[in-house]
Amino acid sequence: MNFLILYLLLLKATLSSFSGLAALPIVRNDFVVKRHLLTDHQLNTALVVGRSTPGPKGLYLIAVGYFAGGAPGAIAAWLAVVTPAVLVIPLLISARRKIEDPRVKRALRTIVVASAGVSLSATLPLSADALINLPLYGIAAVSLVVLVSTTWDTLWVMLGASMASLALMLSGWMPVQS
Amino acid sequence: MDKPSLPELSSVFFRIGNFTFGGGAATTAALQREIVERRHWYDTLQFGLCYALARVTPGTNLFAFSTASGWLLRGWWGAIAALLVVSIPSCVLVCLVTVGFDSWSRNRFFQGAIAGALAASVGALLASFWLLVRPYLNRQHMLQTVLILLGSIVLSFFAHWSPIVVLLLAGIVGFFWKERLE
Repeated sequence: MNFLILYLLLLKATLSSFSGLAALPIVRNDFVVKRHLLTDHQLNTALVVGRSTPGPKGLYLIAVGYFAGGAPGAIAAWLAVVTPAVLVIPLLISARRKIEDPRVKRALRTIVVASAGVSLSATLPLSADALINLPLYGIAAVSLVVLVSTTWDTLWVMLGASMASLALMLSGWMPVQS
Repeated sequence: MDKPSLPELSSVFFRIGNFTFGGGAATTAALQREIVERRHWYDTLQFGLCYALARVTPGTNLFAFSTASGWLLRGWWGAIAALLVVSIPSCVLVCLVTVGFDSWSRNRFFQGAIAGALAASVGALLASFWLLVRPYLNRQHMLQTVLILLGSIVLSFFAHWSPIVVLLLAGIVGFFWKERLE
């Protein structure tokens, strides 16, 4: 698979989405249906990998690139996912000039509040997926309290949660996931 | 505000960007807590600017947010450093997990650790929600904050509107809605 074509196909998918897995229909159409570069099983595996690793879920595109073109394909995918991020800088330069305008300040404030609402909506399905037994509810609650009420490093809270669930699982207090 | 050095900035984006489970929203939430609440590198308004613009930039929001934050804190070098340190290690990890996916996914130690990290990311998302909304739950902004919040939840969760449309609508409402106490 040509590196440039792979980059352009993945860039098209990235540019057409504004969050998470929104580009999935385009990726499936281009890679599975039209060009047969991937099977549905490989696409599913890529999605699971994207969900199982740290960082954005959109990184499933790296696994898609890897399946389609090996290591060079993964590099093309990395370039495709980072390219659109640069577009934020002209937006930022333009918005900073107007940030003292009270109407712009109000618009920013309402966007931030709405983002909190949108994120809360996205948290609900994630919670259903992640909190599958009582000990995990406990870990989520303790993490929430620690993150809101202390200045502890978030990384240590995440690592502590991992260690706690591992210890609970090994001691038999938490069921093993299948 | 204490502006970070380039290594300090890179270190925070590297650690939070590559070790936070639960997707881009959870990672941005962790970065918000680290940059605004713990280190005071920029204020809520500047965070709001980066956050809002990253949400309306196509592609991966976390990468746009990191680039915007890096640019605001250290100019072009900050933008490049933040984007590289937040994207390269996690992409390499995706490749490694893809290669060994079958054996990784059956490993019970891996499963146990991931389950805890995902539960903590739910806590991080809820903490982020509170930290985002808390500054605006005052007498001056209470009504607007509550209505925008409820409206965004109804439109995104129940009506399944695209996040970008909800955010643009909220921006338009905020642009024209002047509160009496302002």
